[in-house]
Amino acid sequence: MKRRDFVRTMCYGGIATFGLPVVNFAQVQQNGRFVFILLRGGFDGLAALVPYGDPDYRALRGSFAYNASDLTTLDDTFGLAPGLSPLRALWDANQLAVVHAMAIPHRTRSHFDGQAILETGLDRPAGSADGWLNRLLQVMSGTRSGIAIAAGMPLSLTGSYQVESWSPTQLGSVDDAFLERLAVLYRSDATLQNRFEAALQQQELVGEEPMARGNARRGGITPLMQAAAKILRQEHGPNIAAMEFSGWDTHANQGMAGGALDRLLGQLAEGLVAFRNDMGTAWQNTTLVIMTEFGRTARPNGTRGTDHGTAGAGFVLGPRLAKSAIVADWPGLSSNALFEGRDLKPTLDTRAVLKAAIAGAFDLTPAQLDRVFPNSATIRAVPGLMA
Amino acid sequence: MDATLRALNRFGLGARRGERQKIGDGRQWLRAQLDGGPPSLAPPDGVTATAIGDALRAVRMGGQGNDQERRQARRHVVEMSQAEMHAALTARITTERPFVERLVAFWSNHLCVSTGSKIIVAPLAGSYEREVIRAHVLGRFEDMVLASAKHPAMLVYLDNFQSIGPTSRGAGAGQRNNGQRRGLNENYARELLELHTLGVNGGYTQQDVQELAKILTGWTINGLNGPGARLQPANQPRRRGAPRQAARRDPDGPIEFAFIDLLHEPGTKTVLGQRYSQGGIEEGERAIRALCRHPSTAQFIATKLVTHFVSDEPPAAAVDRVARVFRSTDGDLKAVARALVDDPEAWREDARKFRTPQDWFVAVLRALGASDASPNAPVVLRQLRQPVWSPAAPKGFGDALQEWADPDSLLNRGELARTIAKQPAMRALDPQSLADVVDVPASNPLHAMLADTSIAAPERIALAVAGPAFQWR
Repeated sequence: MKRRDFVRTMCYGGIATFGLPVVNFAQVQQNGRFVFILLRGGFDGLAALVPYGDPDYRALRGSFAYNASDLTTLDDTFGLAPGLSPLRALWDANQLAVVHAMAIPHRTRSHFDGQAILETGLDRPAGSADGWLNRLLQVMSGTRSGIAIAAGMPLSLTGSYQVESWSPTQLGSVDDAFLERLAVLYRSDATLQNRFEAALQQQELVGEEPMARGNARRGGITPLMQAAAKILRQEHGPNIAAMEFSGWDTHANQGMAGGALDRLLGQLAEGLVAFRNDMGTAWQNTTLVIMTEFGRTARPNGTRGTDHGTAGAGFVLGPRLAKSAIVADWPGLSSNALFEGRDLKPTLDTRAVLKAAIAGAFDLTPAQLDRVFPNSATIRAVPGLMA
Repeated sequence: MDATLRALNRFGLGARRGERQKIGDGRQWLRAQLDGGPPSLAPPDGVTATAIGDALRAVRMGGQGNDQERRQARRHVVEMSQAEMHAALTARITTERPFVERLVAFWSNHLCVSTGSKIIVAPLAGSYEREVIRAHVLGRFEDMVLASAKHPAMLVYLDNFQSIGPTSRGAGAGQRNNGQRRGLNENYARELLELHTLGVNGGYTQQDVQELAKILTGWTINGLNGPGARLQPANQPRRRGAPRQAARRDPDGPIEFAFIDLLHEPGTKTVLGQRYSQGGIEEGERAIRALCRHPSTAQFIATKLVTHFVSDEPPAAAVDRVARVFRSTDGDLKAVARALVDDPEAWREDARKFRTPQDWFVAVLRALGASDASPNAPVVLRQLRQPVWSPAAPKGFGDALQEWADPDSLLNRGELARTIAKQPAMRALDPQSLADVVDVPASNPLHAMLADTSIAAPERIALAVAGPAFQWR
């Protein structure tokens, strides 16, 4: 029996009904898709969204200073790094907001603490806290489900709301006969039966060869983004996804155009464009937010890299944006303007961007937003970001 | 469920074939394990305090070393860390006292450090489990927490090693090269209250966190360039009766606990209504013991233990009984473990726990008779989303069904079971012998599958451990 036939005959429930209440088609907004991508390691916002027009830029960045001609310029001040040039298409289509001088609400240069703040959505560390995406699932009404499309379970998605997962790792090869027998066994367990069937259907959806597990395992961003699109474009697929990519902690040999960081940015941009293409019509309801735990030092260090800093850049993508925009209360790069004399100064709270993005994606009330982000009543969603 | 199998699976780490017939009364078997003294474990070859100190200093050379040397040093650190993980997993797979090893894993997770957080923690996590958890797992809770507070792995993981009393005499010496001043770091004090003792709803305030952080200033480490490294020993007046280690700073020695009085915040601090002043290191020791004896701590620990051993929805009566024993014995962990075994709720037919990835993996290898965790076991557990000693946050890994039983994870277990069952070492294994370790009624289709010789033996082995019955304990 071919896998396709097998899955068709074996699955009664599957991904569409797993863990979900009765589907309510009336709530069109709930068909929105929201993807939160965490760039772990602290990516260098000044090297990605380049403030080439800032009068202090060249002196500050020294050997890391780009010329305008190297960049995809967005206005007189900012340009996208060479690797990010594929995002030009999204910018032109009013589907890209670049956010700058943004930081988490708690000052730390520790990856661990910074990621925890970003992922719990709190304004201070609290070791027992749930992830903010999980709280979003708890707070939203109507049809909803969350999925981690990652090798691990990101903290942002952990909590009391049951979520699904799809990981690019493959731990062994299984054939249809084995899965069929296993499915027979799982039918004797009322608690696990639906989950196992959902797993089979999910696997069928993404496919094993050649794109999904194999390539994604080798670390490419694009195969993982394509797998994500296959899962998220389903009519009844999950509407909240957490993803993560690492390799951004560029202490040494960060490089310029074509260098280590720029190549990684290039992979990210390609992955995002592939995701948009593969989402098909579902792209119209999709919003992505890309953030990192902190920016990096404004000046290059002694090993041709940058060290842990404070404010950095991020991205919001998707057709639900009001328009393409640079979202920044730009603090400038003069010595006096730098935070503690060394980092880009934070002028925008990550939660202001996240609140705006999820409110636009799912039609949430301010009260709901404040439950997703406790102690954030004074942090207003960025106005005019989303349509 | 068969009570003997329940003892082996629920309280132990998974039944081995034939064990069910050997152990006799399940409760007695469990109680006897508690009487054997602390479960010691030898460190892996080459992993010594000196070797760890040298390797970490090499990683932290900064711009002084070349890239290749740094990479090599980093690789050495990772190798030591993996060797420790492998040793700990092998102990779980081969132990004759699986109840005690489960308790080690429980407490190690309760007072967790994470190798994924900082490179310094990675090679120290093994010694942390040996010196903090194993040494006290059958002893007193407050001794365990105190040992944890003084272990370099915890001091680094939750940053207390760089916490400096803002008005301490040594505050100026804490300046970084770039002129940035360091001060109080509340991370450890907060998690000590929130996660290790009282629990998040245990009745403390942010003020208590800050005051506790001040009490714990000066608790730092030797052997790395910590905030007090440039202080000369001569500058440190040794208090009368203070431990000798307080007077020694050796940046090239092993990485170990040090109390630096110069960095300790002077004055009176108040935590949960109790005043602490002029006590140096003793302030922190007294404060930690007081937290461990707080009634909220007994309730918090009892709830977590009953949840781990009995049910995601812990029966209140069982929690109360365990909490009472915890209080009346001042946190005697052996008595507490015994109370769990003695509790009738723990043996209820309808109570069951979904095996976490580590639990499942260890149970599989025990069932299949493995004598060793394979060298890639740490990598495999990472792929199963529960890497050894590497939780994503200081709360540690959870153990509830909803955290682990997602669809993809069930499939991953199926894939991994196939991979393990195909190994040459499994050729001698009779698949039907696995019926002994899986608790299913005679009517369950698993029995027919295990006996069906038209199915290849490795596949039948995999079905036994990938099937739903084996996912529970």
